[in-house]
Amino acid sequence: MAVIAASAVRTCLGDGARTFERLLSGECGVAPLRHVDAARLNVSHGYPVLERGDAVGEPALRATRWLVECVAEALCSAGLAAPPGRVPVIVGTGLRELRAAERWALDGEPLRAQQLHFAAAVGELSAALRPVVTVSNACSASGHALALAQDMVEHGEAEIVVAAGTDATTASMLAMIGRVAERPTDSVRPFDAARTGVLLGEGAAAAVVAGDGWRGPVAAVLLGTGISCDAYHETAPSLAGISGAMRDALARAGRRPADVDVVLCHGTGTVLNDATEALAIREVFADAGAGPWLTAVKGAIGHTSGASALMSLDVAVRCLDSGRVPPVVGLREPLPEADGLRLVAGTSVRCAARVAQINAFGFGGVNAVTVIEARP
Amino acid sequence: MTIAVTSWSVWLPGLGPAETLGGWSPGPACRPEEAGELLGRKGLLNKEPATRLALCAVHRALGLPPGHRRGRGAPPDPDTAVVASSNLGNVHTTCAVARAVRDQGVRGVSPLDAPNVSSNVIASSVAIWFGFGGPNLMVCSGHPSGLDAIALGGLLLASGRARRVVAVGVEPDDPIAAALCAPGPPLRQAAACVVLEPSGGIVLDRVTEAAGPVFRDEATPTIVIGPGGDGALDLTRRLGHTYGALGVLQVAVGAALLHERGGAARIVCGDPTDGYRTTRLTSARTAS
Repeated sequence: MAVIAASAVRTCLGDGARTFERLLSGECGVAPLRHVDAARLNVSHGYPVLERGDAVGEPALRATRWLVECVAEALCSAGLAAPPGRVPVIVGTGLRELRAAERWALDGEPLRAQQLHFAAAVGELSAALRPVVTVSNACSASGHALALAQDMVEHGEAEIVVAAGTDATTASMLAMIGRVAERPTDSVRPFDAARTGVLLGEGAAAAVVAGDGWRGPVAAVLLGTGISCDAYHETAPSLAGISGAMRDALARAGRRPADVDVVLCHGTGTVLNDATEALAIREVFADAGAGPWLTAVKGAIGHTSGASALMSLDVAVRCLDSGRVPPVVGLREPLPEADGLRLVAGTSVRCAARVAQINAFGFGGVNAVTVIEARP
Repeated sequence: MTIAVTSWSVWLPGLGPAETLGGWSPGPACRPEEAGELLGRKGLLNKEPATRLALCAVHRALGLPPGHRRGRGAPPDPDTAVVASSNLGNVHTTCAVARAVRDQGVRGVSPLDAPNVSSNVIASSVAIWFGFGGPNLMVCSGHPSGLDAIALGGLLLASGRARRVVAVGVEPDDPIAAALCAPGPPLRQAAACVVLEPSGGIVLDRVTEAAGPVFRDEATPTIVIGPGGDGALDLTRRLGHTYGALGVLQVAVGAALLHERGGAARIVCGDPTDGYRTTRLTSARTAS
């Protein structure tokens, strides 16, 4: 048994509270790309986290700084600003500080190998934050971090573990998006029939995971996370893999599909991913009555890669707390594969949700699906 | 719960036939560009050197014949997990793609490099190549990364998420990787694999933090593998800087030595910035 004691996020729409508020009102954080040559990349837009210093150039080690900010905020919210004992930190990331490596190789910006990962920077917050393990698991990385954090507290390896995620846009990943796009996409439109592909977001997230003995604040009950690998294709999703991951998560959580009230979908806005995820949801929830409300955040905050699972977790916790589910920004006409699914479009919906599911799927077929329950 | 190392391999291109690691000979190892001789050529075209070395190490640890491939359409084994460790495996490709965009625009890059610009390419490639459908983790934690991978492998077994864990550590030695690690001991390309299961083989203690490079055991181990001074088998001094591969390499070498001689091995891996980790291997046989 484990709980989410507290959670913090940093997205293009702001901190957790601000992001949720702006999601509810259907805002979109898309903006022209900065710091890279958009014309050469064939990618014109992204969902940037704006910060001081941006006007004069690209600040260094952004993924690291956002991560440290979120870990500090989450610990503070949990009442652990000065942790009383050892707190391991599992950092999920798709791209580590590879943007810094690109700038080192191309522009001669200083970088040491140890700055590609996050032990030194997180350790500066507190000597109690150790060990710091960096798990680089593509777009479901922070979902994997959450699974491992729960395993650690449930197997007595620590009483409290921080699961975190962070990513900043790399030119090399943008190049892969631009290389296969006919023309640049101007926004992410998850599950829309006319979706035109993915754009990268950025930012960080952190969740404090605590075990049975925890007496501090509780944001939600962490029922379980299923993790698996399709072992099928380097970049394409597998229907069997994704539906299997959802079933595994529900089995671990001890919940039936009909118990799930809200699903935070992965919803990347690509032709293949959204169709596959929609079909998998239809399959898994086929006998679950009207089925859960479905929403997705990438139309509003972009694909935040390794941070995306924990950003969706933060939104899911707020859905359970507020009884409101934000709409899928960018969704106007649902794709045919979503026929019969309750996608939230246009405006937010009210529902007394108790159980939420968070989907995250990544390159290489790495799946992480989390199920949480409202706090008692 | 007991965790055991049931199989191991080391893949060290350039190691002479008479060279040993503490008296154990890991066997010949081709360079990454020759990996097709072991793995079969199809499917290797866009695989980076680190991925190729990792595949070779896993192939050897599983005891597969040369050219053996996963059956076409064979369903993945949901009970086998993969935990890979590497810090620099895809840094060269990432930088090369960024440079190609700057010089030639997006037409100068290959979409076949898409998996390679994501840092988890090694772990997922091992899963796809061999058909492992269990949890799949890519650990990039710096110096202790290899032992972090071993620790997470043990956690996956203890939590019932897998019945078998294939842990693989690998590092390339391309100029970009070498420059990023400079100054310091020269980077050495290396891969190692250990298979973890709940029983049999060499018993692996839980990986814990260590305060520093030297760990004082209550019961003196037969072998110390780490930077710990006199009498220790220091694989970095012996081979060069194998970075994210090191922890797995140490466990593989330790298991191989204990299999031959019996006894126990203390393993320490890390550095002052990233922290140190340690574990202990024990053979059922007393040291001979």
